[in-house]
Amino acid sequence: MDGNKLQSIPKPILYLLLILVTTIPLFADLSVPNKPQDAAIDLYAELMKLEPGSTILIASDWTGSTRGESKGAFRAIMKILMRRGVKVAFYSSADPQAPRVYQDALTELNKEHVAEGGKPYERWSDWVNVGFFPNAEAATNGISQDLKGAFTGRKDFPPGSVPKDVFASPVLEGKEKVEDFKMLLVITASKTSNITVERIYGKTPLAFAVTGVMVPETQVFYQAKQLVGFSGGLKGVLDLETLLETGVNYPDKATAKVKSEKYDTIEGFPGKKNKGQGTKYYPTLHFALAFMILLVVVGNVGMIMSKRQAAAGGAK
Amino acid sequence: MKYEDYLIWRMGAGVLATIGLYSVLYKENKLYRFFEHVFLGLASGWTLVALWTETLQASWWDKMIGTATQDGKVVNGSWAYILLLPIGLMGYFVFSKKHNWMSRIPIGIILGLYSGQQIQVWWNTYGPQIAASAKPIFPTTFTSLTVPSKEGLTPEQIAIINGNVYTSQAVTNFLFVFTVLSVLSYFLFSFDVKNKALKFSTTSGRYLLMIGFGAIFGSTVMMRFTLLIDRMYFVFDEFLKQGILRR
Repeated sequence: MDGNKLQSIPKPILYLLLILVTTIPLFADLSVPNKPQDAAIDLYAELMKLEPGSTILIASDWTGSTRGESKGAFRAIMKILMRRGVKVAFYSSADPQAPRVYQDALTELNKEHVAEGGKPYERWSDWVNVGFFPNAEAATNGISQDLKGAFTGRKDFPPGSVPKDVFASPVLEGKEKVEDFKMLLVITASKTSNITVERIYGKTPLAFAVTGVMVPETQVFYQAKQLVGFSGGLKGVLDLETLLETGVNYPDKATAKVKSEKYDTIEGFPGKKNKGQGTKYYPTLHFALAFMILLVVVGNVGMIMSKRQAAAGGAK
Repeated sequence: MKYEDYLIWRMGAGVLATIGLYSVLYKENKLYRFFEHVFLGLASGWTLVALWTETLQASWWDKMIGTATQDGKVVNGSWAYILLLPIGLMGYFVFSKKHNWMSRIPIGIILGLYSGQQIQVWWNTYGPQIAASAKPIFPTTFTSLTVPSKEGLTPEQIAIINGNVYTSQAVTNFLFVFTVLSVLSYFLFSFDVKNKALKFSTTSGRYLLMIGFGAIFGSTVMMRFTLLIDRMYFVFDEFLKQGILRR
């Protein structure tokens, strides 16, 4: 066989194979064993610690471009918050499309939540949209130094009413500064996570849900205890979905599927629709990675063969 | 049109755009160019409207002219906000050869504000990381190689375990501290490294950095694959299976 041919498989064929490899496993009911990482367990534990009726701030800085990872993380996090009755004030500072994207995901999620028998998670009374801020550094600095000033003038829609000042919403009742929120959670696909640490660290507990490419830099913040927890990439999404199903040391330490010495029993939500993108995509990701490794091997075998063939040709 | 039909049409447009944009993988073509321009136009239009409705109106216009709430309350505006307009407009003089000095005024203000924040920014980012890098590298007990289980122990016993450094922890900490120091030494570019120990440290630093870059690259590849998987899920499952075939 000609080694050069192995190194020059036509690109359309490679892309076609890649599409098949990333599509066919999606239709098979596959699963892979999963052991949640400490960072995701910490994030889950912190979210489960929030008392019903308390309010957190979420910076939703993802759009359709990273839907594969960020939407899964957003859904898993919001399932916890909705089921526990935690209120959320949302803002965005990375992309003007971000508020629309998270609102669509929230509408979809609310329907599922109600279908499961949950109380509707209402705009204005349970969550409020503070909107988009065009400069992440300035916006985050404003939120850190003068939350009231940063959010003043922002309006959202109470049911059946014209837009009203967000501070009239029950979600932001009594909120004067960023320290008044139980947590600031950044769901992002951009550097707004770094900007948040730079400007808000030390004022309120910080937690992130980031894309896979951001995991190494976010891990540093977590190791230095600048974050209380984080979910990274598709693995982080799968971890959260696993924890939603199993809890931690739940129902007891002896029989628990996920154990942690750091915590006592933290409940899960067995019987509810906990699985989502993470569970669905993770096995397929393994096929895609195996395919890539196979191509690397094929390319290298081709290179070695062509070198040998060239050497043999030269000897003749 | 029923809402379900609208959703199918909306998803269909998304599928068409996905196919159009992926068609560049075969070769550069007009379908790809068309959808690229549609995307750019939509994004620009959306951004322009969002900038006004979500930012300028609330943060500047309403504060300048004042607002009236539904229950009859009036919030007075402040004329001083008008002063922001000429400062902002000065930025556009960057396009004038004669008057581009004016654009430096708003840029200077922004640079000044940004620079003033950097001490706090630096400390918030790196202060805790420097503190967390100081880890004990010598074990304080040899009763067990690894950290013993804390299950069923009293708080006092747990405190004793937490207060000790076990051999496994010491090894992990040593690897961490060695990595930090060797990577730092790699960046000593201002003099010729002849000392053998320092040479070993800088070489180790280079290899450890390579391992780090490899891990970052691995995460990036996984992320890109996930995004492709999600697109395929959108096209074949959400649109085709759940949308078209279930009708």
